[in-house]
Amino acid sequence: MQKINKNVVLALLSLTSLVFLLFQLYYYKFYLSQKNGAVFSKVRGSQSGQDSTRWHVVRKFLGLISSHNIPVYLIDPLILGLVDKDIEQIRSSPDGPTPECKYFCAPRDFTTFALLDKTWKHEVGLFRTAEKMGFQWLKIINKDPRLDGMDDLSGIEIPLHYIFKLASHAIHLVVFYERSGNYLWHGPLRLKQHMDRKFVPFRKLHFGRYPGAYEKPELLLVSIDDLKVQIPKNPSSFLEEMSHSRFLECRYREARAFFQLYPDDASLDAVEFRKKAKSLLHLAALTLNNLGVKFWLSSGTCLGWYRQCNVIPHSKDVDLGVFIKDYKADIIPAFQKAGLPLKHKFGKVEDSLELSFQGEDDVKLDIFFFYEEDDHIWNGGTQAKSGKKFKYLFPKFTLCWTEFVELKVHVPCETRQYVEANYGPDWKVPVKMWDWKSSPSNVQYNGVWPVNEWDDVIQIY
Amino acid sequence: MDEWKPNPAIKPHKKRSWYLAWKYKLMNQRALRKLCQTGAVLFLLVTVIVNIKLILDTRRAAYEEEEESAQDYDDEMLNVEVPRHPVSNKKVLDVEVYSSRSKVYVAVDGTTVLEDEAREQGRGIHVIVLNQATGHVMAKRVFDTYSPHEDEAMVLFLNMVARGRILIFTIKDEGSFHLKDTAKNVLKSLGSQVAPFLSWRDMWTFVGKKGGEVYGEKHAKSPALSTWGDPVLLKTEVHLTSVEDAECRWPDTELNRRRKRFCSKVEGYGSVCSCKDPTPIEFNPDPLKDNKVFDVPVAVIAGNRPNYLYRMLRSLLSAQGVNPQMIIVFIDGYYEEPMDVVELFGLSGIQHTPISIKNARVSQHYKASLTATFNLFPDAKFAVVLEEDLDISVDFFSFLSQSIHLLEEDESLYCVSAWNDQGYEHTAEDPSLLYRVETMPGLGWVLRKSLYKDELEPKWPTPEKLWDWDMWMRMPEQRKGRECIIPDISRSYHFGIVGLNMNGYFHEAYFKKHKFNTVPNVQLKNVESLRKDAYEAEIHRLLGEAEVLDHSKNPCEDSFVPDTEGRVYVMFIRMEQEADFTTWTQLAKCLHIWDLDVRGNHKGLWRLFRKKNHFLVVGVPASPYSSKKPSSVTPIYIEPPAKEEGAVA
Repeated sequence: MQKINKNVVLALLSLTSLVFLLFQLYYYKFYLSQKNGAVFSKVRGSQSGQDSTRWHVVRKFLGLISSHNIPVYLIDPLILGLVDKDIEQIRSSPDGPTPECKYFCAPRDFTTFALLDKTWKHEVGLFRTAEKMGFQWLKIINKDPRLDGMDDLSGIEIPLHYIFKLASHAIHLVVFYERSGNYLWHGPLRLKQHMDRKFVPFRKLHFGRYPGAYEKPELLLVSIDDLKVQIPKNPSSFLEEMSHSRFLECRYREARAFFQLYPDDASLDAVEFRKKAKSLLHLAALTLNNLGVKFWLSSGTCLGWYRQCNVIPHSKDVDLGVFIKDYKADIIPAFQKAGLPLKHKFGKVEDSLELSFQGEDDVKLDIFFFYEEDDHIWNGGTQAKSGKKFKYLFPKFTLCWTEFVELKVHVPCETRQYVEANYGPDWKVPVKMWDWKSSPSNVQYNGVWPVNEWDDVIQIY
Repeated sequence: MDEWKPNPAIKPHKKRSWYLAWKYKLMNQRALRKLCQTGAVLFLLVTVIVNIKLILDTRRAAYEEEEESAQDYDDEMLNVEVPRHPVSNKKVLDVEVYSSRSKVYVAVDGTTVLEDEAREQGRGIHVIVLNQATGHVMAKRVFDTYSPHEDEAMVLFLNMVARGRILIFTIKDEGSFHLKDTAKNVLKSLGSQVAPFLSWRDMWTFVGKKGGEVYGEKHAKSPALSTWGDPVLLKTEVHLTSVEDAECRWPDTELNRRRKRFCSKVEGYGSVCSCKDPTPIEFNPDPLKDNKVFDVPVAVIAGNRPNYLYRMLRSLLSAQGVNPQMIIVFIDGYYEEPMDVVELFGLSGIQHTPISIKNARVSQHYKASLTATFNLFPDAKFAVVLEEDLDISVDFFSFLSQSIHLLEEDESLYCVSAWNDQGYEHTAEDPSLLYRVETMPGLGWVLRKSLYKDELEPKWPTPEKLWDWDMWMRMPEQRKGRECIIPDISRSYHFGIVGLNMNGYFHEAYFKKHKFNTVPNVQLKNVESLRKDAYEAEIHRLLGEAEVLDHSKNPCEDSFVPDTEGRVYVMFIRMEQEADFTTWTQLAKCLHIWDLDVRGNHKGLWRLFRKKNHFLVVGVPASPYSSKKPSSVTPIYIEPPAKEEGAVA
């Protein structure tokens, strides 16, 4: 009898625990899918119900925006990645029905679309319709950076992101703005105090951690998974661009404070120099971009951007940096073709290369080549008369986009460290007398060029 | 052992026996039993582990969420909500109104909403309109009814105020001298007992509801011509109504929501806030075919003249080919009412902190507005620049669309302007005719981005220079010999009579009689002939066919030009060198056109109309067209009056 009891108890226990376990699993799924979208379905592999939810939400969203004539395009990295694999086939059969849901059913929390601000009217009707269709939506607005650089304009707040949520899937609509310098910009996603932090798992968004800068994409209308949607014509290059699209806004407020302390030079000379420096920079950017050589603002030009959002009028030249791995032999002929003759060439590709081109009226374009080591980056300098070599050390940095004199250009993301390495902690104080051999705080003596190499490494025209 | 007997009749019995046998067997097999037990224990263990994992996971997920909102996606600026003033549910407002020779004030619930004790200004009747539901000030006006015609403006204003609004009146200094019977009757109809008998230097306060009860009135008679009435202070209570009663019942549409917002805040805009048949705030004018200026941004430069802005935007939004999305209104200062007007029309507005004073303030506002325009529309090659005191012609955009390509292609052009400085009712005739002029007229014009970015912006006058932006733009250092294209009949009309450089007299003399095109879809004539060289050919052709007028007659007399129509006449005046405008200025004066400085000239040639004939004036010998003068003709010289006479009033 006792034995039977024991068994019964055991069986009962097992049964309850089984029920309990099932309940827990169910709850686990329920809880997480409420908050984190399809996390759980990812863990358990795709499940057809979830998949078609995503597809349905995307379809509904596309219906919504087309009913309001709003042109959006797909920028979801996950889907574009999948699309890119079959791009030839998709391009060749734009209308062909697809046998299975291959792209829009892929497991993910969001589908990301882009919207060009100037192509739509900010109308309230869209959100009414969205609500009627069952979408919950969230709008993230912030200051308009295009007016940020201006004294005393009350920048209107502009919409930067929209999130439309339906069931367990959400659509992230990123608003792109055209900016001076012929590029597109999207803002960061920052939640204001009163906003629902749990509306969607914001951390999982692909866009919004930082602002970003992009070229204007060419679009292609395709039909994937029986949905007609615009995508960037070349998804892989878009994904490439996305991976290093981070944008830094110029520090306008600090620049204004700087000009309070050191009023801007408004003399005609300064106006003229700025004009020349700007056109030289535009020409240099055009030339290097055509060659596909990545470059950034360096030395005085970088300081001008960082400190005062403008060209420093007494700097007398334009300085660019280029990684030596991006060096191309075509650089010199390309500049000559653009009307900028080589003024001098110091060093060689293997060591301390530096090129200098003669712009209009004494404005010089210096291109410094940077060499990457394990824990630092450096560029070289050469004193023509003595053959002495110098080395300028910088902490490691990555490149970000910014806007400078109506141009989209790179600067080191870690600009402060870069500028401080070059100009020391007192970089905020303008210095008119600058000696490139001794003034920089990161200069190191680096020996002397062997005399037999001088003809090669010290070329002056 | 009975049960083991096969008994097909009792099936369940048999089944049960099988089960028992199986159980018995199982119980007998210890090993199996053990296995079963361990299995169960293991199962329990798994349950426990899953439970623990669940707890950990949910905790982590919750933590992550908190963390993420704390880190990446937080707005670094702590937008602490400004605590709003508690909305008082009070149904009664205490109103205090004071009237005296040198000071007036109005306080509502202890808050001063009007206080004017400045000397030498603010004379007349001050009127304040309150919202009957909220008690907010909706309009504040002063009508100097000591001076003529101001009472008419007051009647106009009072008629525009919606029924039910609370009106507060108070007189400062003098308010009766030119207060005519019409105005007095309107005041009487509002419930005032005293208004019909208001006389010289009386003090008067009155609070009433339009079309309703009177809350109070006080009056102090002036004892003698040389003295003022005693100051009066009226204290009264006003009963508020419910919000619903204060609003109209318009159908709930997007447009009406904007209208409602506007009409609950401000007063004095007339039928836009009528409950019955309000005037539209969306106009949908016909689109233009092949509109070349659809994507050109339109910057409207505004100050604090909301009524002007309202009139201006109405005409702008009614012009064919307008693209409201490209319009930005720049308001100089943080004024609410102009912004309300901008929002009423669903446009975007940007406010600008005033920098510097007077003309330099306007100048800085222009600079900020132009820079912002090109920043917001980086693709734009041009910007249309308008001011808040202009009416815009129905074919304004059509005019620009037909002429803007010249600005793009002809380097010798400075701007395209909608305004002809010399285009008065009696001197402009042909809506399809364009001119090239050496002066920059402004008042509705197109600016090329490259001109602004490369030349003007970098050296724009700094705030401490008290320069007029337009005077500066007309200086030779900036203009560099370039010209503007203008129409014969202006496509804008300057209606502003209050302004920095403007007053009623000045407006009457120089702007009121300006001709303004009202014909839609005018096809411009011979646009290509406006290019630099083609224009010279055109002028030579014109001069070739022109009849030389009788130079022995007085050019100021009407009979100087024969009573013909559609002919071309030419006259020659003396102009010793390029900057000698002595005779021209005198001629302009007697022709009643712009004579304050030289406008509308092209190489010593002016083109206008007299008696519907094209009338050319050539300055000899400075003008290169002097060669067209027959040798027998002596250029006319008009002596300037002795002295000081020419000074601007």
